[in-house]
Amino acid sequence: MSFDLSFVWTAFVQLLGVIPITLAITVVSVVLGFIIGTAVALLRQFRVPVLSQLATAYVTFIRGTPMITHLLLIYFGLPMIIDSVSSSLGLGFNSSSIPLIGFAYLSFSITAGAYASEIVRSGLLSVDRGQIEAAYSLGMTGTKALRRIVLPQAFAASLPNISNMLIGMLHGSTLAFAVSVVEINAKAQIVASTNWKFFEAYVAAALIFWGLTIMIERLTAVAEKRFRSYNRGGVS
Amino acid sequence: MGAPFEFSYVIDYFVKLLPTISTTLLIVVSAMVLGLIISSIAALPQMYNIPVLKQLSKLYVSFFRGTPILIQLFLFYYGVPEILGLFGINANRAPAIYFVILTYSLHSGAFMVEMIRASVASVDRGQVEAAYAMGMSGPQAFFRIVLPQAYVTALPIFANMVIGSLKDTSLAFSVGVMEMTGKSSTLATISRHFIEAYISLALIYFVLSFVLERVFGVLERRVQKRGFAPI
Repeated sequence: MSFDLSFVWTAFVQLLGVIPITLAITVVSVVLGFIIGTAVALLRQFRVPVLSQLATAYVTFIRGTPMITHLLLIYFGLPMIIDSVSSSLGLGFNSSSIPLIGFAYLSFSITAGAYASEIVRSGLLSVDRGQIEAAYSLGMTGTKALRRIVLPQAFAASLPNISNMLIGMLHGSTLAFAVSVVEINAKAQIVASTNWKFFEAYVAAALIFWGLTIMIERLTAVAEKRFRSYNRGGVS
Repeated sequence: MGAPFEFSYVIDYFVKLLPTISTTLLIVVSAMVLGLIISSIAALPQMYNIPVLKQLSKLYVSFFRGTPILIQLFLFYYGVPEILGLFGINANRAPAIYFVILTYSLHSGAFMVEMIRASVASVDRGQVEAAYAMGMSGPQAFFRIVLPQAYVTALPIFANMVIGSLKDTSLAFSVGVMEMTGKSSTLATISRHFIEAYISLALIYFVLSFVLERVFGVLERRVQKRGFAPI
């Protein structure tokens, strides 16, 4: 069996159709992850009793275990809990009506949340305390200072981290095959095994991921230029 | 879907998974050692600005950082035997763990190139110039002046990489290597006690990464105390 270059193209075209699934998993998990992560970071920052300890435990556990174990735990554990609750309450709801991609969304968001909380924390810490004090002395309220002074700078400072996380979750989305979601990796497997051309199919998949990653890197560079403009010095 | 939850299975599986730690650690350690060798070679053209080789090294780093490790794993698992087949070597029956170690070494090697570059760049250029002014040769300046300082910067990054690669080994089961994740899903499928198996799996990973983190924390403090850190 020799390398079939034309099949790489055939596989490439077939894989293009499932890019939206991969991107959906990535975007949903990063967005939900940042919502979870912001909440967790604020809980830890303001040392809310009990909740901040729980938040620390969550972050430590998630960061200490592989992403696939989160997915497997959610995939096998959640239906058990849902079914026992719904049968004890007499609801007519069954866990099998949850679409499989829902498990991927949920579990990857939980994974992303732990990593995002560290990004949010370091972003908030990167803003000089003096700036908040200056905002207060100008008569801004707490939320106003947060929205106008802290967040724009924290966001600019954490852009490289956000880009890394986006790339990490893009690459992590390949794990969704474990719960039978057909994204790029699973599709490559299908294309490969129906044509018995494994190497070619994975070359195509690798090329797509490589392209997507470079695109994210480029977009981040553009965004960084824009959002860091306040930092350029000079008079205008 | 599975059998009802029974806590005793968590302990039972925890014990049953312990022997497979050795496979996981074998992958991690060999990937780290080979990755360090690969990256030390691949980082040289980038640091000393050697044309052509520099572009090749950049391409290598970009590819391995730009594609998911799972895709790389399949790529090498299916691709390497085909390429070796062109040279008349039959690798179709080679144990999957070799391909896994190869993939993880190349993967971590790419990330280590960045680590080496960043930590060498963190050493002030004036120090190298001072070393040259003292009459040191290039290698002397590198090993006596740059390396001891760069190593302090690199250690925390390296620690993260080891823990990251420990977690990445959970994917090796997808090409049929019986490491911890593979073993636990086999145990789970036999008894239908999925949750228990995956809880003990997560526990082992957690303990391992926790221990690694602590060990590296101690190492980092010791390295910094010894006065390697730039003033």
